[in-house]
Amino acid sequence: MALVDSVHRREEQVSAERPVRDDPKRAANKIALFQYLTVAVFIFLISGFWKLQVQNPDLYSEAAERNRIKSVPILAPRGRILDRDGRVIVDNKASYSLLLNREQIKPEHLPPIAAELGLDLDELSKKIRRMGSAPQIIIKDQLSRDDIAWIEAHQDDSAYPEMQLIRAWRRQYPQDGFATHVIGYVGEISESELNLPQYLDYQQGDIIGKDGLERQYDDQLRGVDGQQRVLVDSWGHERQMEASKQAVPGKDLHTTLDLDLQAVAELAMQDKRGAVVALDPRNGEILAMVSRPTFDANKFTGRISRTDWTEIAQDPHKPLLNRAIQAQLAPGSTFKPIMAIAGLETGVIDDETHFHCSGGASFYGHYFACHIKRGHGDVNLHLGIVQSCDVFFYNVGNRLGIDRIAQYAELAGIGHKTGVDLPNETQGTMPSSKWKMRMFRQKWYAGETISVAIGQGAVTVSPLQLAAAEGGLGVGGEWYQPHLLRSAAPKLLREGHFNPDNLSQVISGMYGVVNEGGTGRAGVLPGIKVCGKTGTAQVAATEKTKGAKLNSALANNVWFVGFAPMDHPEIVVAALYENGEESFHAVPIVRDVLKAYFDKKARREKKGETETASLLAPLRLLASPVPAHMNLPIPEGLPQ
Amino acid sequence: MEALLSRYRNLTVLLVVLVAQLLYLAYQVKTNRDERLIRVWAVSAVTPMAGMVEAMRHNTIGFMEDYFILLDVREQNRKLKADNDQLRMENVYYRNQLATAEHAQALTLFQKQTPSKTVAARVIGNSTVGTAKAVFVDRGSTSGIEKGMAVVTPEGIVGKVVAVYPLVSQVLLVTDPTFKVGIESQKGHVHGVLDCSSGKCIVDQVQNEEKVAVGEWFFTSGEDRVFPKGFPVGMVASSQTGQGMRDIKLNLSGAPGGVEDVLVVLQGVHQPIPASAPEDLSASELPAPPPEKGGEATETAKPQTEADKVLAKYAELGKQEEHVYGAVGSSIPNFNLKPETPAKPAADIAVPAKTDSAQPAGSEPKPLSSDTTKANNAGLAVQSAAKAPAQNSPAQNSPTQNNPAQSNSTQNHPAQVNSAQDHPVQNNRAQVSEAGVLGGRPSVKAAAPAVSAAATAENEV
Amino acid sequence: MSETGDQILERPLRESWFSRFQVVALAALTLVSIIGKFYLPRLIPHTEWLELPLLLTVYFGLMRRSQIASLLFGAFVGLAEDSLSPANLPIGMYGITKTLVGYFAASVSVRFNVENSAIRLVLCFFFFVFHAFFYWVMRRALLGQVIPFDPQETFVHGALNAAVALPLFAILDRMRLSGSL
Repeated sequence: MALVDSVHRREEQVSAERPVRDDPKRAANKIALFQYLTVAVFIFLISGFWKLQVQNPDLYSEAAERNRIKSVPILAPRGRILDRDGRVIVDNKASYSLLLNREQIKPEHLPPIAAELGLDLDELSKKIRRMGSAPQIIIKDQLSRDDIAWIEAHQDDSAYPEMQLIRAWRRQYPQDGFATHVIGYVGEISESELNLPQYLDYQQGDIIGKDGLERQYDDQLRGVDGQQRVLVDSWGHERQMEASKQAVPGKDLHTTLDLDLQAVAELAMQDKRGAVVALDPRNGEILAMVSRPTFDANKFTGRISRTDWTEIAQDPHKPLLNRAIQAQLAPGSTFKPIMAIAGLETGVIDDETHFHCSGGASFYGHYFACHIKRGHGDVNLHLGIVQSCDVFFYNVGNRLGIDRIAQYAELAGIGHKTGVDLPNETQGTMPSSKWKMRMFRQKWYAGETISVAIGQGAVTVSPLQLAAAEGGLGVGGEWYQPHLLRSAAPKLLREGHFNPDNLSQVISGMYGVVNEGGTGRAGVLPGIKVCGKTGTAQVAATEKTKGAKLNSALANNVWFVGFAPMDHPEIVVAALYENGEESFHAVPIVRDVLKAYFDKKARREKKGETETASLLAPLRLLASPVPAHMNLPIPEGLPQ
Repeated sequence: MEALLSRYRNLTVLLVVLVAQLLYLAYQVKTNRDERLIRVWAVSAVTPMAGMVEAMRHNTIGFMEDYFILLDVREQNRKLKADNDQLRMENVYYRNQLATAEHAQALTLFQKQTPSKTVAARVIGNSTVGTAKAVFVDRGSTSGIEKGMAVVTPEGIVGKVVAVYPLVSQVLLVTDPTFKVGIESQKGHVHGVLDCSSGKCIVDQVQNEEKVAVGEWFFTSGEDRVFPKGFPVGMVASSQTGQGMRDIKLNLSGAPGGVEDVLVVLQGVHQPIPASAPEDLSASELPAPPPEKGGEATETAKPQTEADKVLAKYAELGKQEEHVYGAVGSSIPNFNLKPETPAKPAADIAVPAKTDSAQPAGSEPKPLSSDTTKANNAGLAVQSAAKAPAQNSPAQNSPTQNNPAQSNSTQNHPAQVNSAQDHPVQNNRAQVSEAGVLGGRPSVKAAAPAVSAAATAENEV
Repeated sequence: MSETGDQILERPLRESWFSRFQVVALAALTLVSIIGKFYLPRLIPHTEWLELPLLLTVYFGLMRRSQIASLLFGAFVGLAEDSLSPANLPIGMYGITKTLVGYFAASVSVRFNVENSAIRLVLCFFFFVFHAFFYWVMRRALLGQVIPFDPQETFVHGALNAAVALPLFAILDRMRLSGSL
């Protein structure tokens, strides 16, 4: 039979009804509409009921909670740290971290989780408490394959559903403490740091730069974590992700460091204590910075265990100290070039000035010995520098007086922070009468000036300060702010406006130190005019004289600062060798770094790479007037 | 009220039906229960017809009678095919064992493997809904199938059993977005996770530094506690350095969507995880696979940045020139002399066996030592094991095993041990009579498989 | 108002249907459609888009015109379909969707000439899209599962299903008219 019939019948009925209703069609429409509306409202109500009854995890059973949307952080990778040629010094490695969703944590789950993952239960519980209201707590980073397999097998509801595996980034530092002090390391933000104003935007559990560049440029390196919504169905399967807030990776940090030089400096400092700083005196770019002893920053990535930390922090040799900027040691004879320029510029000495060294001299009732007991005989400025005659500089210092010494030393940056873009730089000390009044409420005694004149006494410097000071002298009395950020414009801090003749006398003295059989003769490089000055700073002089057992801890700290080429220095290297004993022991360190620099330059020139330009002075400096001391006669055939 | 109900009778019924279903749904979601009864009914009702449909597919239309006549032959045929598959699969396993363990042990263990370990089944229907991918196979609980069992073909893995009915089982395919399989590359023993959630199958969780070449095979690693170790998964179609993790695309060898005949791996140790006591989990799971050769080496090779490479280069230069950096009295170094051999990144040096398949036999016992130590740690003491002669086929180009140096060190460290551990399936039994087994087996002159041939070689059988 | 709507129209219709549309035949059709959905892709590749159960529900709704009968039929078909879906999907999703499809199909049937091919085409297309969309909404709202929803693909599949529906409905019409159903 046909449906058609029924339709007809139906129509008949409808038409039959017509007289009864005024507008039955309209009424029917209304009814239909009403019905649909009712269904819609009902569905709406049902959905509300569903949300409340079935999906709301707080009110109802756990099982409903299993069907949930989890918000999982997408950790943003920090920016990489690159050397001046774009080579990667610090990288990120993808890894997995385990976080616990707070609302699902069950106390009885913690012991097995801690046991399986090799975590300390106490620390874990403390951490969970410490993290306060944070919805998720990262409890282990850099999960091993075994860990991951175990977690994946046990994060279902029947086991430990609070576990959530997330992809994280592990900071990949060079091995064996390479450049660790410059780079710094990252770590979880501490309670005290959270209270600091600069960490206003940070939260418990955030990873921040703790030291070095990582800390200095944390803003730039740090990315913005994203959020990702993960749907977990009632079987514990993670379903497709909802639209998430993308993580914004941190920006790469281009540094002025040169890995070649850094590597050589690192190798040269192996098994030594001390520091090396290489910088370009024409603009302050730091090419290498090494501090020894060092530590493996990879141990610090993420969440370091307490034992590891105490081991490093309590090491008597203080591996955490960045000696390049934090050591405060007497510069010793490396201070003498500054004395020389001060003497010449103030006119207390000139190229005719002679002093007689008989192995020592008396000033203000005290006898001050020269480092050579038999004396240097008649000494002029050149010889005084080359042979590092103390008596000559006692006299210069005596004539200058402390405040004029301080004036020139401070011009060179002694006693002031260099302003390098690293945290916790120390400023060292440049004593003066004002300084003493301020510090000790005592007036300065002229006798104290004598030891300051040879870089002893109260004067202390860091290797970076010394490199900057001597380098600035080398480029004609201009001191640029040392910096590590490649994009930073050179910042001229101070200018000496020295008499070029005076400057060239000092520099030729420093040339002699290396090339005329002076204390720095080990620094000779064929074809390159290296200038430099050694220095020795006595440690615990009194104990030594008392005949205490001479051990390495009491041996002298030795310095060498060298720059090259003599005529327009491109690089200055300062090396501090703690307990190096003899001043010339620091020289090969500097020499190797200089050699690495000039070998690399030669390689580049050979290749004819245009990058050479970037290795050389920035255009601004190339265009600037040639420093006067460059007018010195230049032997033919030497590379410049 | 009554009037209202009768006036809106249709609507009322609609709402009642909807609410009933919603409540039922809510009940399922809240209790997380699979509604077995209804499913059993539905599946049972449909299965006979499904079987017929499947039969129709197999036969030309109109030859239904032939089907019944040829039933015996077909049945026999099918059995033979199943046997054949079984053998091929065992062959795969066997080859794996050869590649990773001592021949004698492998053979013994192989013998320990009873033929009844798997049951052949035929796919009788899709049950694909949206992105969820599953099939029905024509074997169920009466054939000993249990939820959670792995389903494979000799060519590759297919999926796992997610629901079991008396005569039918539902198999979730590996291509289902929720499915993850722990896998491991054959050459480098690079571990990863198979993930087909994006439509294409990729290997996830492989670090960029790991070496995975195009054409390399991946096998199950056993880490997921579903698939026993050593089943072929697929071949690498592309392998690129990716964002954080390596991008590896895999061509599945098992063609899970299109398979007809599969093998369900029956094994007592495979049981669903009990819902109540997590402490007992370990007992009901497959044991973790044993430490893998070379696996340790991956971890000991320190990750590097370019800084490390530059440092290594200069250290090497210094060595060549006999220059001691920064030392008093040392000669002036020349950094522009070309080093005679370019400095290798340490990763390569540390794990030669992993990466260099052309390694001459016996030259590099290094990776083994780490392995043996590990095995020792695991407390696996098997003595005469190592003496089981490692017959080297010339075709053997896998440096992982079997070169003389390695057999030596295996003697020193009774370690290779327990290839049983390599294959969790055999674990239970194999360990019992270890010593006897190991001592008693003389050399096996089976051709050692070429790397990556294992999975494809079954065609020859 | 009590005399309005379908109630009054149902009695004669139902009788005619029960006389012809035998319950057994209906059940067989249902089974075939469901089996078709799950096994057809194995017979003929790339036929996953074919929604035979849905088409049957729509046909039943359009021709049967009883909202109650249609929604019950829809629920039955849907639940049967659910029972065969992967075991990790709860039962009821298709049930609810098809219940609504059945109800609406019966509701609209009084307003259109359901014998008209063009109208059938449009209705089938519409119900397919509604079905797909509603299923997606249910998965999302009730199970909190986000599965991809591709409108373009849905429309194409809807068109294909509508195209299949025409001859299918014609066959069903003939079966119905010849009394075999």
